[in-house]
Amino acid sequence: MSARDKTISDDAISLSEKGHRQVIQVNIVRLVIYVLLGLLAIVSLIPFAMMIINATRTNGEILQGFTLIPSNALMENYDILISYVDVWRGFLNSLMIAVLVTLLNSYFSALTAFAFWAYNFKGKTFIFGFSLLLMMVPGQLSMLGQYELASNLGILNTYWPLILPAIAAPFTVFFFRQYLYTSMPYSIVEAARIDGARDLLIFHRIVLPVLKPAIATQGIFTFIGSWNNYMGPLIMIRTPSKFTLPVMMGALSGSPVANNLGAMYLGIAISVVPIMIAFMFFSKNIISSISSGAVK
Amino acid sequence: MAEIKLKHIHKRYENAEDFAVTDFNLDIQDNEFIVFVGPSGCGKSTTLRMIAGLEEITEGDLYIDADVVNDVAPKDRDIAMVFQNYALYPHMTVFDNMAFGLKLRKMPKDEIKERVDHAAEMLGLTDLLDRKPAALSGGQRQRVALGRAVVRSPKVFLMDEPLSNLDAKLRVHMRTEIAKLHEELETTMIYVTHDQTEAMTLADRIVIMEAGVIQQVGSPFEVYNSPNNAFVASFIGSPAMNLHEVTYSQGRITGKGIDLAVSEPSRKELDEKGYEGKTVIFGIRPEDIHSEQIALDTTPETVVETTITVAELTGAESILYIDVGGTEMVAVVDARDFHQAGETMEVAFNMNKAHFFDVETEEVIRKKPIEEVVETTI
Repeated sequence: MSARDKTISDDAISLSEKGHRQVIQVNIVRLVIYVLLGLLAIVSLIPFAMMIINATRTNGEILQGFTLIPSNALMENYDILISYVDVWRGFLNSLMIAVLVTLLNSYFSALTAFAFWAYNFKGKTFIFGFSLLLMMVPGQLSMLGQYELASNLGILNTYWPLILPAIAAPFTVFFFRQYLYTSMPYSIVEAARIDGARDLLIFHRIVLPVLKPAIATQGIFTFIGSWNNYMGPLIMIRTPSKFTLPVMMGALSGSPVANNLGAMYLGIAISVVPIMIAFMFFSKNIISSISSGAVK
Repeated sequence: MAEIKLKHIHKRYENAEDFAVTDFNLDIQDNEFIVFVGPSGCGKSTTLRMIAGLEEITEGDLYIDADVVNDVAPKDRDIAMVFQNYALYPHMTVFDNMAFGLKLRKMPKDEIKERVDHAAEMLGLTDLLDRKPAALSGGQRQRVALGRAVVRSPKVFLMDEPLSNLDAKLRVHMRTEIAKLHEELETTMIYVTHDQTEAMTLADRIVIMEAGVIQQVGSPFEVYNSPNNAFVASFIGSPAMNLHEVTYSQGRITGKGIDLAVSEPSRKELDEKGYEGKTVIFGIRPEDIHSEQIALDTTPETVVETTITVAELTGAESILYIDVGGTEMVAVVDARDFHQAGETMEVAFNMNKAHFFDVETEEVIRKKPIEEVVETTI
C-alpha cells in the first residue's frame, strides 16, 4: 500500500512542478508583451506630453533641452500668445463649424441612405454607383471648383463654403446604407406604416434611432476631419478673426510668436487637448451605444 | 368586425413576365379564421401583403366591408399585421412597441396604458413591459408582435408565417395561443403558412394555393377528405397521400402490384365519364391502408401481401413504407402491432376512401360529398 502511495505522491509532485514551469513561461511571455505595449504607449504619448510640458516653459528653457518637469511660464506664454492671436475666438470658430458639419453630414447622409435602402426608384443603381465613384476623387481636386462656386455665390470669406458641402458625403451615405442593410429588416418599416406612420416620421422615430451607433462612429471621424481641416478654411477665409484654429496656428509661424516656442506649444495644446478629452468621453459613449443598440 | 372580398385579384411584379397571383377570388366572412397555405413562392404572402396594402394590386378589386380599398394606404385600412421576423422596433421597450400605433393615432395616454396593460396581461407580457426586444426570447418577441396588433383592435388581423422562426415545441404552444386569441378577440384573421398542420389546426377555412392560383377553398375536414385535385391531395396530410397511376377497366384498377375493385359510387362516375380502359391517378391516404385483422376479414377482396422496407415509430402510430408488388406505398398503422422492416405483411385497402384523379388535368374525377365522407368514416 505504502509503495503505491509513494508513486502517486511522486507523480503529483512532478505534475505540480510541470504546472509551475508552465505558469512561469506564461508569465514571461506576458511580461514581454506588457513591456512592448508599454514602450508603444510611451512612444505615442511622449509628443503630447512634450507639447503640454513645453507649453509651461520659456523659450530659453525649451532651447536648453527636454525635461519631464513642467516649468512655471504658462501664464507668460499665454499672454504672449493672445497678444498676437485671439486663440479662443479661433477655438469657437472651429467648434461651431465642426459641430454644424457633423450634424448636417449625419442627418442628410442618413436621409439619403434611408432613401437608397427603402425605396426603389428609376436610376437608383446608377446614382448610387456614381456617388461611390465620387468617393475616389481626392478632395483637393474639387477645391478649385468649390472656390469658384463660392466666389460666384458671393459666399467667400464666410463659413458657408466650409459647412454646406458636408451635406453631400458619399462615404457616410455608403456606410449608413450598409448599416441599414445589415441591421434592419425592411418589415420594420412596413410595420410602422401599418401602425400609421408616414415616411418622414418613420425616418425620425425608427430609422435614426437604429442608426445611432453608426452615426456616433461616423460622427467622430467627421468632427475630427472638420476640426483638422486646414486647406478649406485657408482658401475660403481671409479675415483673421474668422480663422479656424489650424489656420490660426499656421499663421503663427510667420509671426513674432514663432520666436517664442513656449507660446507656440501652448497654442497647439489649446487646439488639440479639448478635442482629445471630448473624444475620450464620446468613445466610451459610442461603445456602449453600439452594444445596446444591437438589432436582432 | 369586417368582411373582406377579393374579386379577380391579379398581381404582377415589375419586370416580371408571369403573374405572381392569378384571378384570386374569395369572400371572407366576419370573424372567420382563414389560412392561406401552399409551397414557397405560391403567392400566399403576396396576396396577404396586397390585403395589407404593402403591395399594389395589379388588377381586380379588394373590398373591406363595402369599400374598395385598392388605393387606400395601409394605415387607413384598419388592419394589423404580424410579421415572420416580428419586426419589433429595436430601440423601444415592449410597452412603447405596443403603444407606438396608438400614440400615432393620438389616443389619450390613459387609454393607451389601459389597452397595453390589457393586451400584456392577455399575452403574459406584464413583467416584460420595460424590456427591449433584444432582451427577449423568440417566443416573447412573437407575443409582443401579437400584442402590438391586439392593442389596435383592428378590423382584420394579418399574420405572415408568424411561427416559422420558433422552435417546434414553442410553435405548437403559440399555435394554441393564437387559436385562443381568435376566440377572445372575435376578429377576422388571415394567416399565411407553409405548414399544413398549422393550417389544419387553426383554420375555419383553408385556401390552398399553388403557382399563384387557388387550388381549393374549404374547411380543414373538406380539403383533407375531398380534395379538388392531386396537388391538394398530396399537399394536405402528413405522410402525404399515396398517388399512383393505374389503369381502370371493368370496375377494377390495375397497376404494378395493384389489382383492386373500385367501390360503387366512384365506379359509376368513372364509367359515365368514359375512363374505361384509361389511365387514372389512384389516391389513398396512409391511414386507409389497414393491417388489423378485422379490416383484413371485412374486405378480403382488397387484401394484398406486402413487404415492409422502412418502419418509423412515431409513438402511438407507426409509419410503414411498404412494397406492394413493386409499388412503394406509405401506411400508418397502430404502433402496438410492432411491425419491423423486412417483414411481410398483409394489408387491406379501404376502397370507399380511395380518390381518383384525371392523369392530364390532375382534377378529381368524382368530388366526394361531405356527407358521404362522414358516413364512410363512421
